[in-house]
Amino acid sequence: MTLTREELKKLALPLLIATVLIAAGAGIITSAGEGLHTAQARFAVVQAERRQNAERLARIAEEEREVSQKLDVYKQLKSLNILGEERRLEWADAINRIRVQRELLDVRYRVERQKLLTSAAGKPANVDFFASTMKVDLQLLHEEDLLRFLADLRSSGNAYYSVKRCVITRTGQPVGGATMTPRLSAQCDIDLITIVDRAAKG
Amino acid sequence: MATRRILYVTAEDHYLYRADGKDLELEGKFSGDDLGITLFREHLLSRPGGLFSVVADVSGEDFHEEQIPFLRGGDRDAVVQRRLAQRYRDTRLTTAISLGEAPSGERRNERLLLASFTSTQHLSPWLDALEEASVRLAGVYSVPLLAPALVARLGVKSGRALVVTATRAGLRQCYIDQGKLRFARLERTIDMVPQALAMFVRSETQRLAQYLLTLRALPREGAPVQVLVVAPPGQREVFEQTLSSDARLVFHTIDYAHALRQVKLRKVPEVTRAEALFLQLAATHPPREQFASRQDRRRYTVWQLQRGIVAAGVAGFVGCALYGGGKWLEVMDLRDRAATQQREARVAAEQYERITAAFPVTQTTSENLKVAVVEFRRIAERSPSPDRALLHLSQVLARFPQMEIDGINWSVGRAAERLAQRSAGSASPAARPEAAAGDLAVIVEVSGRVNATQRTDYRGITAQVETFATALASSGYQLLERKLPFDITSEGTLTGDIGATDTGEAPRFTIVFARSLP
Repeated sequence: MTLTREELKKLALPLLIATVLIAAGAGIITSAGEGLHTAQARFAVVQAERRQNAERLARIAEEEREVSQKLDVYKQLKSLNILGEERRLEWADAINRIRVQRELLDVRYRVERQKLLTSAAGKPANVDFFASTMKVDLQLLHEEDLLRFLADLRSSGNAYYSVKRCVITRTGQPVGGATMTPRLSAQCDIDLITIVDRAAKG
Repeated sequence: MATRRILYVTAEDHYLYRADGKDLELEGKFSGDDLGITLFREHLLSRPGGLFSVVADVSGEDFHEEQIPFLRGGDRDAVVQRRLAQRYRDTRLTTAISLGEAPSGERRNERLLLASFTSTQHLSPWLDALEEASVRLAGVYSVPLLAPALVARLGVKSGRALVVTATRAGLRQCYIDQGKLRFARLERTIDMVPQALAMFVRSETQRLAQYLLTLRALPREGAPVQVLVVAPPGQREVFEQTLSSDARLVFHTIDYAHALRQVKLRKVPEVTRAEALFLQLAATHPPREQFASRQDRRRYTVWQLQRGIVAAGVAGFVGCALYGGGKWLEVMDLRDRAATQQREARVAAEQYERITAAFPVTQTTSENLKVAVVEFRRIAERSPSPDRALLHLSQVLARFPQMEIDGINWSVGRAAERLAQRSAGSASPAARPEAAAGDLAVIVEVSGRVNATQRTDYRGITAQVETFATALASSGYQLLERKLPFDITSEGTLTGDIGATDTGEAPRFTIVFARSLP
């Protein structure tokens, strides 16, 4: 049956209605698909969170032991003033004190600008490790003087002293006379490391 | 369900009914003459449009059985139209009912029952009036065309059956074979008492059976024919007493009210007789076969197309909605599960917080405490003191009094980088120990001189430096590099000053050894 123009016009409205209905149906499917996708993503996130929390809870005994162990070290770092801001005056005092106590002949030092060594991700804030490199020139009677100087420096606190380089050479100066002549010369690079815990109270 | 109007056509008067699902209502009565047609036109003008069917209940309906080649589609239509044109002079109201495949023969044939009215003059003006009123004509049916549907409703699904009804037009008898109409006749009646009508039914049925036997439409042997007689209201008992069965005919008298229930008709006009059954079937379950031409039914076809398109849209929407609904159910299920997981996560976190609150008091969070200590330990492990290396050197030197040290360069660095810097071919592969080529290491470079040995004793000096280097490469230290007083490698330059005056300067060497840090 061939439809006339008039009859085709009569089919226009039903066609429009059918198109709208099917488009609405397609809209429902699309919306449902998007909703499902979002729900799946959300489910994956909360599932991972639940698993993580459950695992953390399961490890709580181990964590308690770990915290107890690490707390001693943390307290020690705090008491040695390694944890906290730099104390450059205390460093200068310590070097002077060691020089006098150990009767070192000549000690020259220079502390460079502080730089960030590393930043460890913590919660709620990071833990930053800073280093200030100190270059030290020492005139020594004996190599033991260097080792004592380094040991005294470490025990003086106010930073963690990480020796990066030490060059020991003979001075070549002749020994004799009433004055004490240095036989060795040492140049050392030492990182003075301090820790800033952004989450620490007080 | 759309309201449908049905024009019931008899030889005398025409009746217009409105069928609305389970109700049948008489809307008008028109005489069969010109006045009736005029009134009908006026009636249509007052109610334009609408859906119409015509049910003709007239005598003079012709039935003729034919056979055509077994065809399909347009070819079959063409053959059927040709046969109808050959059989009937006026083909406006004709139809062909398929009776199935012919039982035998050399080629496959289809049996057809061609049907029409011997005269269409009494119907044509009414159809023209419908056309002028732009109504949608669903079809033109005759009571016999609707009879198979009635027989099926009354419980006879197969076999041979005669259905006998008393309509306003007279006594209608239809012969149905395997659910297909084979023959029908209308015998006019006058008003009779129930007993007389029952007797008339009996005699006419026996006459029809005899006629069908003559035509060989009924076999002489075989099972008796079921005769369904719809008794007028209140006359069932009289009919049952009168209509006694025999070997050829088995009468079943059916109460009119029961028949109405079977066709799901609840309310009928009081004046209406058994034609109500056929009118209801024409409204609710019209058969595919009908008499109207395609042109007469064009508006109805377009209307069906409109409904079909909308129905397809609705079906599509419902399908999409069902599918989308399924998805949303899945979404809701996922949301429920996510909420449960979130609740469990929160409970675990709260429990964790409660337990950690009882931990030793710290000045920071547990996380930062751990991070600070772990990172500090890592740095401390990589920050050795020179003591150990110097002690090792001192112990080895004690065994080599002829060695005099000029300088020591202690450092922490990457042994691999140092090797790479000097890998211009000077060092032999043996001088590159795998372990020393790792990550951070304590690297000690010792430079010195060999005393108490003749400067010209190359072999002796070389052997002493080699032994000294080997001694240094112990206790966890490994040899990275050595520079002998005399370059005896093929890559170097060997020089000598034999016979010249001895300068007294001891031969110098350099040894580099390293210890990997954890």
